Amino acid sequence: MKTAPALAGITSFAVILLVWESAVRFGWINPFFVSEPSAIALSLSRAARSGELWHNLTVSLREFAIGYGLSVVIGVLAGALAGRFRTVEYALDPFLWFLYSAPLIAFYPIFVLWFGLGVPTVIAMTFLLSVTQIATSTLKGIQSVNPGLLRAARSFGATDRALLWKVVLPATVPMMMAGFRLGIGRALMGVVVGELFGATAGLGYSISYYGALLKTTDMIASLTVVVVLGVLCTQGLTAVEERFDSWRTF
Amino acid sequence: MFNYRTLVSTITVIAFLAVWEFAPRAGIVDATFTSQPTRVVAAGFEIIRTAGFLHDVSVSLSEFALGFTLAIAVGVPLGLVLGRFPVLRYVLDPPIMAIYATPHLALLPIIVVWLGIGMQSKIAVAFVSGVIPILVNAMAGVRGVDGSWIVAARSFSAREWDVFVKVILPASLPSVILGIRLGLSRAVLGVVVAEMYQSQAGVGNEIMRYGSEFRTDYLLFDVLLVSLFGLTATSAVRALEERLWTAGE
Amino acid sequence: MDARTVVEPVPHIQVESLTVVYEKPKAEGTLIAVSNVNLDIARGTFVTIVGPSGCGKSSLLLSIAGLVKPASGCIRVNGKPVSAPGRDRAVVFQDFALMPWRTVIDNVRFGLELQRPRGLTGGDLTERACRYVELVGLKGFEHYHPHQLSGGMRQRVGIARALAVDPEILLLDEPFGSLDAQTRDEMGSELLAIWERNKKTALFVTHGIDEAIFLADQIVVMARDPGRIIKIISVDLPRPRTVETTDSKRFIEYRRQIRECL
Repeated sequence: MKTAPALAGITSFAVILLVWESAVRFGWINPFFVSEPSAIALSLSRAARSGELWHNLTVSLREFAIGYGLSVVIGVLAGALAGRFRTVEYALDPFLWFLYSAPLIAFYPIFVLWFGLGVPTVIAMTFLLSVTQIATSTLKGIQSVNPGLLRAARSFGATDRALLWKVVLPATVPMMMAGFRLGIGRALMGVVVGELFGATAGLGYSISYYGALLKTTDMIASLTVVVVLGVLCTQGLTAVEERFDSWRTF
Repeated sequence: MFNYRTLVSTITVIAFLAVWEFAPRAGIVDATFTSQPTRVVAAGFEIIRTAGFLHDVSVSLSEFALGFTLAIAVGVPLGLVLGRFPVLRYVLDPPIMAIYATPHLALLPIIVVWLGIGMQSKIAVAFVSGVIPILVNAMAGVRGVDGSWIVAARSFSAREWDVFVKVILPASLPSVILGIRLGLSRAVLGVVVAEMYQSQAGVGNEIMRYGSEFRTDYLLFDVLLVSLFGLTATSAVRALEERLWTAGE
Repeated sequence: MDARTVVEPVPHIQVESLTVVYEKPKAEGTLIAVSNVNLDIARGTFVTIVGPSGCGKSSLLLSIAGLVKPASGCIRVNGKPVSAPGRDRAVVFQDFALMPWRTVIDNVRFGLELQRPRGLTGGDLTERACRYVELVGLKGFEHYHPHQLSGGMRQRVGIARALAVDPEILLLDEPFGSLDAQTRDEMGSELLAIWERNKKTALFVTHGIDEAIFLADQIVVMARDPGRIIKIISVDLPRPRTVETTDSKRFIEYRRQIRECL
């Protein structure tokens, strides 16, 4: 556990919050636009006590879990198949490329058409946004397995199945982990933006709701929860990645 | 050109288009939900001729151009400076990484609160979406500069400014261009989604309108148009990137 | 001692009580790289500094170059103290340190661009760079990039770059360390050939004993823990030096002397 960067991070945020609070107190910035940390903290505790925070959090987390979970399962499967069978890779290639580069969120009205407003659409968007990242990373991971290792294992009489579990999978893990990490960012975006547009609950919905009422403080409160979630997920997965990465020399 | 890869990819795409086209005709799906390639193309011809379309496209393009140019103008110098001075890095790294980990579009509502529903908020969204990858990659580019080059420059009595212009800048250029490429698609997405959220004009606005009118074919045309724009722009930058890498490698 | 000398001219380089200290990166305390070293180098001599890893020879060289700040002591060039890089000294680095995005000719121009010698236009600089490219035997490769060149060729660019600024003193920090043995020998002979033409004061760090003897007028032998000079050997071999020189009895004697010290 690296303490120095963590310490630096905490100090940095503390300084920023201090400057922010003072700037508003001294009248340098209009609190309407950015609110102040003390007010935001109050809003958060109010939302926590009333259960509003937990409700929104659980709705968003559930959508995230389902959407991201689906994309992990299908993404790894698709990526594995594509990695194993060239034909599958070439067949999936154009679709993966399109799903990755096209502005999927712009397809939102179509999702609404198919799945209706609310949770299903959010899950669909979350799924589509992250599945390509995971599939591509898994594919690249499998392709990056050193053929020399496979040859060596075969020379010891390894079956296809043993090869998969003992050579391919462990070697693929680093790139897969990277894909999971990147996919989380996109999945989170899918959830929040999906809720911005047409949900009745969730963090994104909360931001949009208070936005319509011009209640900056409550908006930023929900936004803070989103930021914290984003950072936790990214840092968490980076830590997991590093644990798996320790043997890498390339 | 015609190898196995292109063959399989082309066949699957054609198969997809065929299913897309004929499934509604066979009654398997309702065309209102999925449209068909032919209808999308036909809708395209219709849209191009409408007066509003040109206006919407120019609005979106200018919002993107202004916002993204600003992102480059701010992100590149700032990223280079931050990368150069490690002291600043320790202070600013955590918030920058926090912003990088956040879905940039979550900032949409608050930007709208600040700047209203006109073009300014879209320009701001393009800026925010684009500047983050540019900044982060410019910083990384500076950090990746080989220290021995700087020592060599110093051995010839180079001043700090010389080191910056003659070593750091050229060495970090590939990373900067990468950041610009990554920021570009985020900025395009940002503008369109911002217009979808709250706007009076623009392609995103059209998309929402067609969606609410169930005009799937028109909607799809607009979405595909945006995709095409994003892809062309990023391909252009990627071509530039390749040329730079071969020169510097 | 030569009886004709009445007044000794000021040595080109004077190192007085030089101590160089580094922070230990992962441990407590400091590392004494160079400890209280004194050295005088006469103008126009080719001096090699030889010793095992960690004896401070590079630190000594880089201090003279002005790239490393000593903890104590003084370095003088032409009698005047120096603490930063200057036009009078140029360095050739072990890892070449060429800018990969610049062509050969642009790399050779690099030092000139930075030093901006008075009265020379951009075109003049290019012309001068061309001359040195030719001098090191790379004519025709002006528009190649470093990655297209072999190790030996890259170091020639490094040498050309250093020579192009016309320094009084040439400082070479294990310049052939990254090259294979055969190239190293070739480069050594070529370096001497180039040096013969203008006889600059040269300081050459190496940990190859044979190389040290072959190139030098004077050999400075250093030891480690702490880094210090243990012997200075005057080399009395005729120039130009050839392959036969390395077989001569005196060469073998010098080699024995150095081996004994280390």
